[in-house]
Amino acid sequence: MNVIKCTDLTKSYGQQKALDNLSVTIEENKITGLVGRNGAGKTTLLKILAGFWRVSSGEVNVFSRKPFDNLFVSANTMFVDDQMNFPTALTLKEILEQAGRFYDNWDMELAERLFDYFSFRPGQNYSVLSKGKKSTFNMIVGLCSRCRLTIFDEPTTGMDTAVRKDFYRALLKDYLAHPRSIIISSHHVDEVEEVLEDVLLVESGQKFLHMPIEDLKEYAIALNGPSEDVNKWRRDREVLHTKTAGNNTYAVVTNDFEQHELEQINLAGIDMSSVSPGDLCVYLTDRAKGGIDDVFDKA
Amino acid sequence: MSLTKPSLAQTVLKQFWFKLKSLAGMISSLIMLQLIGLLFALGASSNFYTGSDGVFDLQISYYSADLVVVFTMLWGFISAITMKTKAYREDDFVFVTNRLSSNLSNIAYLLAASVIGGVTAILSGYLLKVVIYLLFESTPIIHTGLTDSLVELLSGMLAASLFIFMFAGAGYLVGTLVQLHKAFTYITPVAVIGFILLSDRISDGHLLAEVGEFYFNEASLWLLSVKTLVTAGLLLAGSIGISQRLEVKT
Repeated sequence: MNVIKCTDLTKSYGQQKALDNLSVTIEENKITGLVGRNGAGKTTLLKILAGFWRVSSGEVNVFSRKPFDNLFVSANTMFVDDQMNFPTALTLKEILEQAGRFYDNWDMELAERLFDYFSFRPGQNYSVLSKGKKSTFNMIVGLCSRCRLTIFDEPTTGMDTAVRKDFYRALLKDYLAHPRSIIISSHHVDEVEEVLEDVLLVESGQKFLHMPIEDLKEYAIALNGPSEDVNKWRRDREVLHTKTAGNNTYAVVTNDFEQHELEQINLAGIDMSSVSPGDLCVYLTDRAKGGIDDVFDKA
Repeated sequence: MSLTKPSLAQTVLKQFWFKLKSLAGMISSLIMLQLIGLLFALGASSNFYTGSDGVFDLQISYYSADLVVVFTMLWGFISAITMKTKAYREDDFVFVTNRLSSNLSNIAYLLAASVIGGVTAILSGYLLKVVIYLLFESTPIIHTGLTDSLVELLSGMLAASLFIFMFAGAGYLVGTLVQLHKAFTYITPVAVIGFILLSDRISDGHLLAEVGEFYFNEASLWLLSVKTLVTAGLLLAGSIGISQRLEVKT
Protein backbone atom coordinates (compact mmCIF):
# COMPACT_ATOMS: atom_id res chain seq x y z
CA MET A 1 0.00 0.00 0.00
CA ASN A 2 1.13 3.52 -0.72
CA VAL A 3 1.13 5.95 2.16
CA ILE A 4 1.92 8.91 -0.01
CA LYS A 5 1.09 9.58 -3.60
CA CYS A 6 1.87 12.91 -5.20
CA THR A 7 1.01 13.64 -8.81
CA ASP A 8 2.30 16.79 -10.53
CA LEU A 9 2.44 18.51 -7.19
CA THR A 10 3.13 22.23 -7.53
CA LYS A 11 3.34 24.86 -4.83
CA SER A 12 3.96 28.37 -5.98
CA TYR A 13 4.34 31.72 -4.31
CA GLY A 14 3.64 34.25 -7.02
CA GLN A 15 6.13 33.53 -9.76
CA GLN A 16 8.33 31.38 -7.59
CA LYS A 17 7.73 27.65 -7.54
CA ALA A 18 8.77 25.90 -4.36
CA LEU A 19 7.58 22.61 -5.79
CA ASP A 20 7.39 22.08 -9.51
CA ASN A 21 5.38 19.16 -10.89
CA LEU A 22 6.68 16.73 -8.34
CA SER A 23 5.36 13.19 -8.61
CA VAL A 24 6.38 10.64 -6.06
CA THR A 25 5.00 7.55 -4.40
CA ILE A 26 6.12 6.31 -1.01
CA GLU A 27 5.26 2.85 0.13
CA GLU A 28 4.08 1.88 3.56
CA ASN A 29 6.51 1.09 6.38
CA LYS A 30 9.65 2.42 4.78
CA ILE A 31 12.19 4.85 6.10
CA THR A 32 12.77 7.40 3.39
CA GLY A 33 15.45 10.03 3.43
CA LEU A 34 14.45 13.32 1.86
CA VAL A 35 17.61 14.93 0.62
CA GLY A 36 18.27 18.17 -1.17
CA ARG A 37 20.13 21.44 -0.96
CA ASN A 38 18.87 24.43 0.97
CA GLY A 39 15.75 25.77 -0.70
CA ALA A 40 15.21 22.67 -2.82
CA GLY A 41 11.65 22.32 -1.52
CA LYS A 42 12.09 19.69 1.19
CA THR A 43 10.23 21.50 3.94
CA THR A 44 7.51 22.65 1.55
CA LEU A 45 6.88 19.06 0.53
CA LEU A 46 6.82 17.85 4.12
CA LYS A 47 4.45 20.58 5.30
CA ILE A 48 2.09 19.76 2.46
CA LEU A 49 2.20 16.09 3.42
CA ALA A 50 1.48 16.99 7.04
CA GLY A 51 -1.57 18.96 5.92
CA PHE A 52 -0.28 22.38 6.94
CA TRP A 53 -0.01 23.93 3.49
CA ARG A 54 -2.37 23.65 0.57
CA VAL A 55 -1.15 22.70 -2.88
CA SER A 56 -1.27 25.14 -5.77
CA SER A 57 -1.95 22.47 -8.32
CA GLY A 58 -1.60 18.75 -8.78
CA GLU A 59 -2.73 16.11 -6.38
CA VAL A 60 -1.44 14.79 -3.11
CA ASN A 61 -2.79 11.86 -1.14
CA VAL A 62 -1.76 10.70 2.30
CA PHE A 63 -3.52 7.53 3.48
CA SER A 64 -5.56 7.97 0.27
CA ARG A 65 -6.94 11.29 1.50
CA LYS A 66 -6.13 14.89 0.77
CA PRO A 67 -4.03 15.91 3.76
CA PHE A 68 -4.78 19.63 3.86
CA ASP A 69 -6.66 20.54 7.05
CA ASN A 70 -7.66 16.90 7.43
CA LEU A 71 -8.35 15.66 10.93
CA PHE A 72 -7.80 12.02 10.01
CA VAL A 73 -4.40 12.73 8.48
CA SER A 74 -3.51 14.92 11.45
CA ALA A 75 -4.32 12.13 13.89
CA ASN A 76 -2.11 9.67 12.05
CA THR A 77 0.74 11.97 11.15
CA MET A 78 3.45 13.38 13.36
CA PHE A 79 5.48 16.29 12.07
CA VAL A 80 8.67 17.08 13.96
CA ASP A 81 10.80 20.09 13.17
CA ASP A 82 12.72 22.69 15.12
CA GLN A 83 9.78 25.12 15.06
CA MET A 84 7.58 23.02 17.30
CA ASN A 85 5.49 25.16 19.58
CA PHE A 86 4.69 23.82 22.98
CA PRO A 87 2.61 25.87 25.39
CA THR A 88 4.88 27.77 27.72
CA ALA A 89 2.49 27.19 30.61
CA LEU A 90 3.12 23.45 30.59
CA THR A 91 6.08 21.59 32.02
CA LEU A 92 7.85 18.95 29.95
CA LYS A 93 6.07 16.19 31.84
CA GLU A 94 2.70 17.80 31.25
CA ILE A 95 3.44 18.11 27.54
CA LEU A 96 4.09 14.38 27.38
CA GLU A 97 0.82 13.70 29.22
CA GLN A 98 -1.09 15.93 26.82
CA ALA A 99 0.52 14.23 23.82
CA GLY A 100 -0.67 10.94 25.28
CA ARG A 101 -4.24 12.20 25.36
CA PHE A 102 -4.13 13.16 21.70
CA TYR A 103 -2.36 10.20 20.13
CA ASP A 104 -4.00 6.81 20.52
CA ASN A 105 -0.80 4.85 19.97
CA TRP A 106 1.24 6.97 22.36
CA ASP A 107 3.77 4.95 24.37
CA MET A 108 4.13 6.67 27.72
CA GLU A 109 6.50 4.08 29.12
CA LEU A 110 8.99 4.59 26.32
CA ALA A 111 8.54 8.35 26.57
CA GLU A 112 9.42 8.27 30.25
CA ARG A 113 12.43 6.06 29.73
CA LEU A 114 13.80 8.28 26.97
CA PHE A 115 12.98 11.31 29.11
CA ASP A 116 15.13 9.95 31.92
CA TYR A 117 17.88 8.72 29.63
CA PHE A 118 18.37 12.16 28.11
CA SER A 119 18.22 13.60 31.64
CA PHE A 120 15.26 15.89 31.31
CA ARG A 121 13.61 17.04 34.51
CA PRO A 122 9.80 16.74 34.73
CA GLY A 123 9.30 20.29 36.02
CA GLN A 124 11.40 21.94 33.33
CA ASN A 125 9.93 24.36 30.87
CA TYR A 126 10.39 23.82 27.15
CA SER A 127 11.28 27.42 26.42
CA VAL A 128 14.38 27.37 28.61
CA LEU A 129 15.87 24.30 26.93
CA SER A 130 18.90 24.66 24.69
CA LYS A 131 18.52 24.12 20.97
CA GLY A 132 19.89 20.59 21.08
CA LYS A 133 17.75 19.73 24.09
CA LYS A 134 14.66 21.02 22.32
CA SER A 135 15.43 18.83 19.33
CA THR A 136 15.91 15.88 21.65
CA PHE A 137 12.58 16.50 23.33
CA ASN A 138 10.85 16.92 19.96
CA MET A 139 12.32 13.60 18.93
CA ILE A 140 10.86 11.90 22.01
CA VAL A 141 7.41 13.28 21.20
CA GLY A 142 7.86 12.26 17.56
CA LEU A 143 8.88 8.70 18.31
CA CYS A 144 6.46 7.96 21.12
CA SER A 145 3.38 9.19 19.27
CA ARG A 146 3.87 6.13 17.04
CA CYS A 147 2.00 7.75 14.19
CA ARG A 148 1.61 5.74 11.04
CA LEU A 149 3.37 8.51 9.17
CA THR A 150 6.15 10.17 11.11
CA ILE A 151 7.97 13.09 9.53
CA PHE A 152 11.23 14.45 10.86
CA ASP A 153 12.32 17.69 9.22
CA GLU A 154 15.98 18.27 10.09
CA PRO A 155 15.52 16.53 13.42
CA THR A 156 19.08 16.69 14.65
CA THR A 157 19.51 20.48 14.60
CA GLY A 158 21.74 21.42 17.50
CA MET A 159 22.19 17.88 18.81
CA ASP A 160 25.70 16.82 19.72
CA THR A 161 27.26 13.80 18.06
CA ALA A 162 26.44 11.40 20.86
CA VAL A 163 22.78 12.39 20.93
CA ARG A 164 22.55 12.18 17.14
CA LYS A 165 23.83 8.64 17.24
CA ASP A 166 21.42 7.80 20.05
CA PHE A 167 18.60 9.33 18.08
CA TYR A 168 19.19 7.27 14.95
CA ARG A 169 19.59 4.15 17.05
CA ALA A 170 16.39 4.82 18.95
CA LEU A 171 14.59 5.51 15.69
CA LEU A 172 15.75 2.26 14.17
CA LYS A 173 14.94 0.18 17.22
CA ASP A 174 11.48 1.61 17.59
CA TYR A 175 10.87 1.25 13.88
CA LEU A 176 11.80 -2.43 13.97
CA ALA A 177 9.47 -3.02 16.92
CA HIS A 178 6.66 -0.93 15.43
CA PRO A 179 7.05 -0.55 11.68
CA ARG A 180 5.61 2.64 10.23
CA SER A 181 6.36 5.08 7.46
CA ILE A 182 9.08 7.51 8.38
CA ILE A 183 10.44 10.40 6.35
CA ILE A 184 13.60 12.12 7.51
CA SER A 185 14.88 15.19 5.78
CA SER A 186 18.48 15.96 6.34
CA HIS A 187 21.50 17.71 4.94
CA HIS A 188 23.72 15.08 6.43
CA VAL A 189 23.03 12.10 4.23
CA ASP A 190 26.07 10.21 5.41
CA GLU A 191 24.81 10.44 8.94
CA VAL A 192 21.33 9.04 8.27
CA GLU A 193 22.48 6.66 5.56
CA GLU A 194 22.48 3.59 7.74
CA VAL A 195 18.85 3.89 8.82
CA LEU A 196 17.47 4.72 5.38
CA GLU A 197 15.89 2.30 2.97
CA ASP A 198 15.05 4.78 0.22
CA VAL A 199 16.41 8.12 -0.78
CA LEU A 200 14.37 10.85 -2.41
CA LEU A 201 16.53 13.60 -3.81
CA VAL A 202 14.80 16.85 -4.72
CA GLU A 203 16.28 19.81 -6.52
CA SER A 204 14.56 23.06 -7.52
CA GLY A 205 11.23 21.64 -6.42
CA GLN A 206 11.50 18.62 -8.65
CA LYS A 207 12.19 14.99 -8.01
CA PHE A 208 15.77 14.32 -8.95
CA LEU A 209 15.89 10.69 -8.08
CA HIS A 210 14.09 8.23 -5.83
CA MET A 211 15.77 4.88 -5.27
CA PRO A 212 16.83 2.42 -2.59
CA ILE A 213 19.93 3.55 -0.73
CA GLU A 214 21.74 0.38 -1.83
CA ASP A 215 21.30 1.37 -5.47
CA LEU A 216 22.46 4.88 -4.73
CA LYS A 217 25.66 3.54 -3.25
CA GLU A 218 26.32 1.73 -6.55
CA TYR A 219 25.15 4.61 -8.68
CA ALA A 220 28.52 6.18 -9.30
CA ILE A 221 32.18 5.39 -9.08
CA ALA A 222 35.20 7.62 -8.55
CA LEU A 223 38.26 7.32 -10.77
CA ASN A 224 41.50 8.80 -9.60
CA GLY A 225 44.71 8.75 -11.61
CA PRO A 226 46.70 10.40 -14.39
CA SER A 227 44.45 12.78 -16.30
CA GLU A 228 45.13 11.16 -19.64
CA ASP A 229 43.99 7.73 -18.50
CA VAL A 230 41.03 8.95 -16.53
CA ASN A 231 39.81 11.10 -19.41
CA LYS A 232 39.87 8.08 -21.68
CA TRP A 233 37.46 6.21 -19.45
CA ARG A 234 35.21 9.07 -18.61
CA ARG A 235 34.50 9.80 -22.24
CA ASP A 236 30.97 8.82 -23.31
CA ARG A 237 29.93 8.64 -19.70
CA GLU A 238 28.04 10.98 -17.50
CA VAL A 239 30.59 12.83 -15.43
CA LEU A 240 29.13 14.04 -12.16
CA HIS A 241 32.17 15.66 -10.71
CA THR A 242 35.79 16.28 -11.64
CA LYS A 243 38.72 17.77 -9.86
CA THR A 244 42.09 18.22 -11.51
CA ALA A 245 45.27 18.86 -9.63
CA GLY A 246 48.38 19.02 -11.78
CA ASN A 247 48.41 15.96 -13.92
CA ASN A 248 46.01 14.10 -11.72
CA THR A 249 42.27 13.88 -12.25
CA TYR A 250 39.58 12.75 -9.88
CA ALA A 251 36.34 12.04 -11.71
CA VAL A 252 33.02 10.73 -10.51
CA VAL A 253 31.14 8.95 -13.27
CA THR A 254 27.98 6.89 -13.41
CA ASN A 255 28.75 3.30 -12.73
CA ASP A 256 27.74 1.39 -15.82
CA PHE A 257 31.05 -0.34 -16.40
CA GLU A 258 31.19 -3.97 -17.40
CA GLN A 259 33.26 -6.28 -15.26
CA HIS A 260 36.06 -6.54 -17.87
CA GLU A 261 36.19 -2.77 -18.15
CA LEU A 262 36.66 -2.45 -14.44
CA GLU A 263 39.56 -4.87 -14.65
CA GLN A 264 41.15 -2.83 -17.42
CA ILE A 265 40.78 0.36 -15.41
CA ASN A 266 42.42 -1.34 -12.51
CA LEU A 267 45.31 -2.51 -14.69
CA ALA A 268 45.77 1.02 -16.06
CA GLY A 269 46.71 2.07 -12.54
CA ILE A 270 43.60 4.13 -11.88
CA ASP A 271 42.28 4.05 -8.34
CA MET A 272 38.63 3.20 -8.12
CA SER A 273 36.59 4.04 -5.09
CA SER A 274 32.97 4.19 -4.15
CA VAL A 275 31.22 7.49 -3.69
CA SER A 276 29.33 8.06 -0.48
CA PRO A 277 25.63 8.85 -0.96
CA GLY A 278 26.20 12.20 0.72
CA ASP A 279 28.87 13.29 -1.72
CA LEU A 280 26.94 11.86 -4.60
CA CYS A 281 23.87 13.92 -3.76
CA VAL A 282 26.01 17.03 -3.65
CA TYR A 283 27.59 16.23 -7.02
CA LEU A 284 24.26 15.47 -8.61
CA THR A 285 22.72 18.72 -7.49
CA ASP A 286 25.89 20.72 -8.13
CA ARG A 287 25.88 20.03 -11.83
CA ALA A 288 23.25 22.58 -12.61
CA LYS A 289 24.99 25.32 -10.73
CA GLY A 290 28.61 24.36 -10.98
CA GLY A 291 30.67 24.02 -7.84
CA ILE A 292 31.93 26.72 -5.51
CA ASP A 293 35.26 26.58 -7.35
CA ASP A 294 33.60 28.05 -10.43
CA VAL A 295 32.65 31.14 -8.50
CA PHE A 296 36.28 31.85 -7.76
CA ASP A 297 37.70 30.62 -11.05
CA LYS A 298 35.67 33.07 -13.07
CA ALA A 299 36.68 35.98 -10.93
CA MET B 1 -0.14 -0.21 14.18
CA SER B 2 -3.64 0.72 13.25
CA LEU B 3 -4.86 3.96 11.82
CA THR B 4 -6.83 5.97 14.33
CA LYS B 5 -10.11 7.59 13.39
CA PRO B 6 -10.70 10.77 15.34
CA SER B 7 -14.08 12.45 15.62
CA LEU B 8 -14.43 16.21 15.51
CA ALA B 9 -16.32 16.38 18.79
CA GLN B 10 -13.74 14.29 20.65
CA THR B 11 -10.89 16.34 19.26
CA VAL B 12 -12.54 19.62 20.22
CA LEU B 13 -13.12 18.32 23.73
CA LYS B 14 -9.49 17.20 24.08
CA GLN B 15 -8.29 20.55 22.83
CA PHE B 16 -10.60 22.36 25.23
CA TRP B 17 -9.09 20.57 28.24
CA PHE B 18 -5.64 21.10 26.78
CA LYS B 19 -6.34 24.82 26.57
CA LEU B 20 -7.66 25.03 30.11
CA LYS B 21 -4.16 23.99 31.14
CA SER B 22 -2.05 25.66 28.51
CA LEU B 23 -3.82 29.02 28.66
CA ALA B 24 -3.71 29.24 32.44
CA GLY B 25 -1.80 32.49 32.05
CA MET B 26 -4.95 34.13 30.77
CA ILE B 27 -6.79 33.47 34.00
CA SER B 28 -3.98 34.90 36.08
CA SER B 29 -3.96 38.02 33.90
CA LEU B 30 -7.72 38.25 34.52
CA ILE B 31 -7.14 38.26 38.27
CA MET B 32 -4.45 40.93 37.95
CA LEU B 33 -6.70 43.11 35.81
CA GLN B 34 -9.64 42.80 38.15
CA LEU B 35 -7.47 43.72 41.13
CA ILE B 36 -6.27 46.81 39.29
CA GLY B 37 -9.90 47.59 38.45
CA LEU B 38 -10.80 47.27 42.13
CA LEU B 39 -8.00 49.64 43.06
CA PHE B 40 -9.44 52.27 40.75
CA ALA B 41 -12.94 51.59 42.08
CA LEU B 42 -11.83 52.43 45.61
CA GLY B 43 -12.57 56.04 44.80
CA ALA B 44 -16.35 56.45 44.95
CA SER B 45 -17.80 56.61 41.48
CA SER B 46 -20.16 59.35 42.58
CA ASN B 47 -20.55 61.53 45.64
CA PHE B 48 -23.72 63.31 46.48
CA TYR B 49 -23.82 66.05 49.09
CA THR B 50 -26.91 67.59 50.49
CA GLY B 51 -28.07 69.61 53.39
CA SER B 52 -25.80 71.94 55.29
CA ASP B 53 -28.48 73.81 57.21
CA GLY B 54 -26.20 73.56 60.22
CA VAL B 55 -27.94 70.52 61.64
CA PHE B 56 -27.61 67.77 59.12
CA ASP B 57 -24.89 67.14 56.67
CA LEU B 58 -25.58 64.31 54.29
CA GLN B 59 -23.07 62.71 52.03
CA ILE B 60 -23.97 59.76 49.81
CA SER B 61 -21.07 57.89 48.30
CA TYR B 62 -21.72 55.38 45.62
CA TYR B 63 -19.18 52.62 45.17
CA SER B 64 -19.44 50.18 42.35
CA ALA B 65 -17.29 47.64 40.63
CA ASP B 66 -18.64 48.57 37.20
CA LEU B 67 -15.12 49.47 36.26
CA VAL B 68 -14.06 45.88 36.95
CA VAL B 69 -16.69 44.66 34.49
CA VAL B 70 -15.41 47.11 31.89
CA PHE B 71 -11.83 45.99 32.50
CA THR B 72 -12.92 42.39 32.16
CA MET B 73 -14.55 43.11 28.82
CA LEU B 74 -11.29 44.67 27.70
CA TRP B 75 -9.50 41.58 28.97
CA GLY B 76 -11.82 39.37 26.92
CA PHE B 77 -11.05 41.42 23.82
CA ILE B 78 -7.29 41.34 24.31
CA SER B 79 -7.17 37.67 25.36
CA ALA B 80 -8.98 36.66 22.20
CA ILE B 81 -6.47 38.58 20.08
CA THR B 82 -3.61 36.98 22.00
CA MET B 83 -5.03 33.53 21.29
CA LYS B 84 -4.65 34.21 17.61
CA THR B 85 -1.02 35.37 17.82
CA LYS B 86 1.47 32.95 16.42
CA ALA B 87 2.81 31.72 19.74
CA TYR B 88 -0.60 30.54 20.98
CA ARG B 89 -2.25 29.76 17.66
CA GLU B 90 0.28 27.13 16.75
CA ASP B 91 0.24 25.40 20.12
CA ASP B 92 -2.71 23.41 18.83
CA PHE B 93 -0.91 22.14 15.84
CA VAL B 94 1.75 20.09 17.59
CA PHE B 95 -1.02 17.65 18.34
CA VAL B 96 -4.07 16.36 16.48
CA THR B 97 -6.12 19.16 15.02
CA ASN B 98 -7.59 20.85 12.02
CA ARG B 99 -8.61 24.47 11.64
CA LEU B 100 -12.23 23.88 12.54
CA SER B 101 -11.49 21.96 15.71
CA SER B 102 -8.91 24.55 16.67
CA ASN B 103 -11.40 27.40 16.22
CA LEU B 104 -14.22 25.56 17.98
CA SER B 105 -12.08 24.73 20.97
CA ASN B 106 -10.87 28.34 21.11
CA ILE B 107 -14.47 29.52 21.14
CA ALA B 108 -15.39 27.04 23.86
CA TYR B 109 -12.44 28.29 25.88
CA LEU B 110 -13.42 31.93 25.37
CA LEU B 111 -16.97 31.14 26.47
CA ALA B 112 -15.71 29.44 29.63
CA ALA B 113 -13.27 32.28 30.30
CA SER B 114 -16.05 34.84 29.79
CA VAL B 115 -18.23 33.10 32.37
CA ILE B 116 -15.33 33.02 34.83
CA GLY B 117 -14.66 36.68 34.11
CA GLY B 118 -18.32 37.65 34.42
CA VAL B 119 -18.89 35.83 37.70
CA THR B 120 -15.71 37.15 39.33
CA ALA B 121 -16.34 40.68 38.08
CA ILE B 122 -19.79 40.78 39.65
CA LEU B 123 -18.55 39.20 42.88
CA SER B 124 -15.72 41.72 43.06
CA GLY B 125 -18.39 44.35 43.78
CA TYR B 126 -18.96 42.74 47.17
CA LEU B 127 -15.26 42.49 47.83
CA LEU B 128 -14.99 46.20 47.07
CA LYS B 129 -17.60 47.07 49.67
CA VAL B 130 -16.00 44.87 52.29
CA VAL B 131 -12.59 46.41 51.66
CA ILE B 132 -13.98 49.92 51.85
CA TYR B 133 -15.85 49.19 55.07
CA LEU B 134 -12.92 47.52 56.79
CA LEU B 135 -10.12 49.76 55.63
CA PHE B 136 -11.47 53.16 54.74
CA GLU B 137 -14.93 54.15 55.90
CA SER B 138 -16.38 52.59 58.93
CA THR B 139 -19.74 54.20 58.35
CA PRO B 140 -22.42 51.61 57.86
CA ILE B 141 -23.11 50.61 54.30
CA ILE B 142 -26.77 51.09 53.61
CA HIS B 143 -27.03 48.94 50.57
CA THR B 144 -24.47 46.28 49.68
CA GLY B 145 -26.28 44.68 46.84
CA LEU B 146 -26.20 41.46 48.82
CA THR B 147 -29.85 41.98 49.59
CA ASP B 148 -30.54 41.53 45.88
CA SER B 149 -32.38 38.36 45.15
CA LEU B 150 -30.42 35.43 43.84
CA VAL B 151 -32.10 35.81 40.47
CA GLU B 152 -30.84 39.38 40.21
CA LEU B 153 -27.34 38.31 41.15
CA LEU B 154 -27.33 35.51 38.60
CA SER B 155 -28.75 37.65 35.85
CA GLY B 156 -26.04 40.22 36.56
CA MET B 157 -23.44 37.52 36.18
CA LEU B 158 -25.03 36.22 33.01
CA ALA B 159 -25.22 39.68 31.44
CA ALA B 160 -21.61 40.45 32.33
CA SER B 161 -20.46 37.11 30.91
CA LEU B 162 -22.36 37.71 27.68
CA PHE B 163 -20.84 41.17 27.23
CA ILE B 164 -17.36 39.81 27.86
CA PHE B 165 -17.99 37.01 25.37
CA MET B 166 -19.16 39.52 22.78
CA PHE B 167 -15.98 41.53 23.20
CA ALA B 168 -13.95 38.34 23.03
CA GLY B 169 -15.70 37.59 19.73
CA ALA B 170 -14.66 40.98 18.41
CA GLY B 171 -11.09 40.38 19.55
CA TYR B 172 -11.08 36.97 17.90
CA LEU B 173 -12.15 38.49 14.60
CA VAL B 174 -9.44 41.15 14.85
CA GLY B 175 -6.85 38.48 15.66
CA THR B 176 -7.95 36.46 12.66
CA LEU B 177 -7.83 39.48 10.36
CA VAL B 178 -4.28 40.20 11.49
CA GLN B 179 -3.43 36.61 10.66
CA LEU B 180 -4.84 37.18 7.19
CA HIS B 181 -2.57 40.16 6.72
CA LYS B 182 -0.35 42.04 9.13
CA ALA B 183 -1.62 45.35 7.77
CA PHE B 184 -4.88 44.78 9.66
CA THR B 185 -3.05 45.68 12.88
CA TYR B 186 -3.37 49.32 11.87
CA ILE B 187 -6.16 49.10 9.29
CA THR B 188 -8.63 47.82 11.91
CA PRO B 189 -8.38 50.68 14.44
CA VAL B 190 -8.23 53.25 11.65
CA ALA B 191 -11.30 51.76 9.97
CA VAL B 192 -13.27 51.61 13.22
CA ILE B 193 -12.44 55.18 14.25
CA GLY B 194 -12.98 56.44 10.72
CA PHE B 195 -16.36 54.76 10.57
CA ILE B 196 -17.42 56.33 13.86
CA LEU B 197 -16.35 59.81 12.70
CA LEU B 198 -18.00 59.40 9.34
CA SER B 199 -21.29 58.22 10.80
CA ASP B 200 -21.26 61.18 13.17
CA ARG B 201 -21.00 63.56 10.28
CA ILE B 202 -23.78 62.10 8.18
CA SER B 203 -26.34 61.45 10.90
CA ASP B 204 -27.68 63.28 13.93
CA GLY B 205 -27.08 60.61 16.51
CA HIS B 206 -23.74 59.55 17.87
CA LEU B 207 -22.84 56.05 16.70
CA LEU B 208 -21.07 54.97 19.90
CA ALA B 209 -23.92 56.24 22.04
CA GLU B 210 -26.44 54.41 19.93
CA VAL B 211 -24.50 51.19 19.94
CA GLY B 212 -24.06 51.51 23.69
CA GLU B 213 -27.78 52.14 24.02
CA PHE B 214 -28.58 49.11 21.88
CA TYR B 215 -26.49 46.68 23.92
CA PHE B 216 -26.04 48.09 27.40
CA ASN B 217 -29.40 49.71 28.03
CA GLU B 218 -31.40 46.62 27.28
CA ALA B 219 -33.80 45.98 30.13
CA SER B 220 -34.87 42.50 29.10
CA LEU B 221 -32.36 39.79 29.89
CA TRP B 222 -33.72 37.68 27.08
CA LEU B 223 -33.31 40.36 24.47
CA LEU B 224 -29.87 41.15 25.81
CA SER B 225 -28.89 37.50 25.53
CA VAL B 226 -30.14 37.32 21.99
CA LYS B 227 -28.40 40.56 20.97
CA THR B 228 -25.01 39.67 22.44
CA LEU B 229 -25.05 36.03 21.37
CA VAL B 230 -26.08 36.84 17.82
CA THR B 231 -23.36 39.49 17.60
CA ALA B 232 -20.72 37.16 19.05
CA GLY B 233 -21.93 34.39 16.75
CA LEU B 234 -21.56 36.58 13.67
CA LEU B 235 -18.09 37.75 14.70
CA LEU B 236 -16.92 34.21 15.39
CA ALA B 237 -18.49 32.76 12.25
CA GLY B 238 -16.69 35.49 10.29
CA SER B 239 -13.43 34.49 11.97
CA ILE B 240 -13.89 30.83 11.10
CA GLY B 241 -14.76 31.79 7.53
CA ILE B 242 -11.62 33.89 7.19
CA SER B 243 -9.36 31.29 8.71
CA GLN B 244 -10.60 28.74 6.18
CA ARG B 245 -8.85 30.83 3.55
CA LEU B 246 -5.49 30.57 5.28
CA GLU B 247 -2.84 27.89 5.40
CA VAL B 248 -3.21 25.68 8.45
CA LYS B 249 0.13 26.51 10.02
CA THR B 250 3.28 28.37 9.10
